[in-house]
Amino acid sequence: MLILRKSLSIIITAISAVLLLVWLGGFVYAVQNNLNVKAGDIKDTSRNSKKSSVVNNEKDLKVVAIGDSLTRGMGDETGKGYIGYLTDEMKAKSDKPVIVQNLGISGQESDQLLAQVKTYSVTRQLKEADYILITIGGNDLFQGGQTLADFQPAAIKSIQKKYLRNLDAILSRVRSSNKEAVIFLVGLYNPFIELDNGKETSQVVREWNFNSAETAAKKPKTVFVPTFDLFELKVNDYLYSDHFHPNAKGYRLIAERVAALLTW
Amino acid sequence: MNNLIQNEMLKLLARKRLIVVGGILAILVVLFTYAQYQTVQTQLKKLGTTDWRTTLQQQIIDTQNRLANSRIPDDFKKELEVRVKQQQYYLDNDINPAEPGAPSFTKEFMENSIDLLLPLMIMVIASDLVSSEFSMGSIKLLLTRPVKRWKILLSKYITLLLAISLIIAMMGLVSYLISGVVFGYKGWTAPAFSGFRITEAGFDSSGASIIPQWQFILMDFGVVWFAAVVVGTLSFMVSVLIRSTAAGMGIILALLIAGAILSNMVSSWTSAKYFFMLNMRLTDYLNGSPPPIEGMTLSFSLLVLTVWWLLALVISFTVFTKKDIY
Amino acid sequence: MITLSVKDLKKRIGKKEIIKGIDIELYEGEVFGFLGPNGAGKTTTIRMLTGLIRPTSGSISICGYDLQTDFTKAMMHLGCIVENPELYPFLSGYDNLVHFARMIPGFRNERLREVIDLVGLSERIHDKVKTYSLGMRQRLGIAQALLGKPKVLILDEPTNGLDPAGIREMRQFIRELAKNEGLSVLVSSHLLSEIQLLCDRVAIISKGAVIQTDTVQALLSSQERMIWRVEPFQQAKEILGTFTEVQEAEDSLITEFDSDKAGLWSRELVNSGVRIIEMNRRLPALEDLFLELTGGDRIE
Repeated sequence: MLILRKSLSIIITAISAVLLLVWLGGFVYAVQNNLNVKAGDIKDTSRNSKKSSVVNNEKDLKVVAIGDSLTRGMGDETGKGYIGYLTDEMKAKSDKPVIVQNLGISGQESDQLLAQVKTYSVTRQLKEADYILITIGGNDLFQGGQTLADFQPAAIKSIQKKYLRNLDAILSRVRSSNKEAVIFLVGLYNPFIELDNGKETSQVVREWNFNSAETAAKKPKTVFVPTFDLFELKVNDYLYSDHFHPNAKGYRLIAERVAALLTW
Repeated sequence: MNNLIQNEMLKLLARKRLIVVGGILAILVVLFTYAQYQTVQTQLKKLGTTDWRTTLQQQIIDTQNRLANSRIPDDFKKELEVRVKQQQYYLDNDINPAEPGAPSFTKEFMENSIDLLLPLMIMVIASDLVSSEFSMGSIKLLLTRPVKRWKILLSKYITLLLAISLIIAMMGLVSYLISGVVFGYKGWTAPAFSGFRITEAGFDSSGASIIPQWQFILMDFGVVWFAAVVVGTLSFMVSVLIRSTAAGMGIILALLIAGAILSNMVSSWTSAKYFFMLNMRLTDYLNGSPPPIEGMTLSFSLLVLTVWWLLALVISFTVFTKKDIY
Repeated sequence: MITLSVKDLKKRIGKKEIIKGIDIELYEGEVFGFLGPNGAGKTTTIRMLTGLIRPTSGSISICGYDLQTDFTKAMMHLGCIVENPELYPFLSGYDNLVHFARMIPGFRNERLREVIDLVGLSERIHDKVKTYSLGMRQRLGIAQALLGKPKVLILDEPTNGLDPAGIREMRQFIRELAKNEGLSVLVSSHLLSEIQLLCDRVAIISKGAVIQTDTVQALLSSQERMIWRVEPFQQAKEILGTFTEVQEAEDSLITEFDSDKAGLWSRELVNSGVRIIEMNRRLPALEDLFLELTGGDRIE
């Protein structure tokens, strides 16, 4: 018993000494590895090419939503947005499980969305999708209301040109990621319709939507979803207190319109 | 010297403090494992999928949305930006930053306990090592032997280093074994990134390389060990200076907690970076998390900690060899 | 042979000089008493002798090795218990001894058995120290002090807290150590009776200085007194006063004791018609001596 305890103490001391050396080694290794990194020196010593482990379950109904604050649901007190209401509706009508990926980023403009859809992971998710929903362009055009306040037709023209180029690229990119899915491009409404120059701004938005729809029409299985008319008459009933984003009612209107187009 | 270390080890083991530390760790790990498990379950429910890429993508989107909010403070914004870039990097390279499995849990556990939990455990041992001899009165027997005082103190210090190494191993082992029950024991060879740097310009992954998880964990343990040694040495010094173990523990505890609070609020008080407490989170440099104060780097923190360590060591030995024992 | 030699030992803390120059020499095989009231500087001195406190000036040498410059060698020849033997309560008696034995260079394991037998702890040696009685702890303390076969043994208040039987046993044990093993034993105490019974020589310390060092016998005899009970009282006092200093007690006169002159003085008294009722020689207790030497410094 006594000898046992004594040797136990010696064993523990020895183990501790070994551990001390191991940790010291780890420390030296860590310092070396993190203080002397040469820029651009990417070593790959363990990359065991991982297979994509995504389960492509045919029974699922997959929706991927990309775009701006409308996709995100900004302005809706419940935080659902049109994607949320749409999902609710789909879940109620479908017996398949519905999986929704909301990749919307508030404030996103068309060039940022283009960059986003080019990333590997978004591409990967798009590939799995059955439906792809896009809201884009609002920030390009309105720039928080600035563009229409100044109202310079020449400036708007150049913005629109750039936007249409981006939109075309986005749609091509999305299509190349997923040949089968139906793409819905949700159009713009005019939040400023009741302001003084409502007529002029509506003119701009209509033309913008028309060109967007034209661009969409050139792509296979790509549907332009107009929302202009939804907000045309009672715009303030459907807008959030910032007079820009829709409120819960407004989002529900958009969701209903998209839902009507979905088939499964 | 070997005999002296054996003596100290004998006393340390006889007092069963290590067992107490092990017990506390086991209980905490069970708790954290459960918490982690719940988090995973919640995520599962919310997303309807267990795919981490989806989760990570969602996190990126969430962070980007938070970034769009103009009301968040600048330094936090920077932190978020760094996080997004990093997560994006993981995503693009198909690397799961939180590869579920006991190794990942252990790694995360170590990273999260480096600045408070582990130092507390170390403190329990270190602050008692010398002051208990004073409070028991046995110091009078210990110092009236034909052995020079510095040798006696050195044997105690080496014992402390051994105990720290043992505690860290215990921590790793306990968290690996317990969390493995829930998350599985695999994942040692999963790819991990090292060599992230936070520079003036932001997140820099140009020097990053992919290494197997176990190598990363070894590095994590290495820096955790170093931080623990520094805290242990400081507690050791307090133990030499102050007779009462409880008072000594109180002082170190207060410093550690102050550090935890400060690191959350001092981003504008830059001189605070010279406190040892704010330099404890060495693992953050390894995994690319931003430091509490801008401009802090791994080499800076190592330097600060080394200076504190040396100072504590010099003070401990000078005082102990000169001290009159009443 | 001188085993412990202390020369002009001083200790100053701040501006206050606590020990004002102590000189002691210990010889082989003697028990040396270190006597003084609490607060006289006994503990500080003993802690300086055992290397726990650094002296401000002066030298301590043990078996010829200077404690300051040759600490290790000096301590090889010293065994000590400072105040109570505070051994590790969570270890067994045996583990405690092993612990301290490991700190002695070139220790032979047979010695462990020897000291355990010497202090008579064989039966309980593997029990935890926290289960020991005070007497057993004291014995274990002595065992650890004797581990390194020291030449000098310093015991601070060794009978503190022991019951009368324990005190007697301890006293005997210390005397035997000195006699059989040739140890020099330095015993500090604030109890005069103990020193008187235990020691060969004694140093009396008061207010940080040694007032007197001598054999116990010599110290006592220098203070021997003659008690006279005489009649008529006044006349006797006058007569004795012509020879020596006379003190008055309640019903008697006290003079110094001088075996040569006592007869002469008594003859003078009888010749003058004084009746001597009682003549008594008295050895004073150390208590009286102490009071006299220190001028009223309190002692128990």
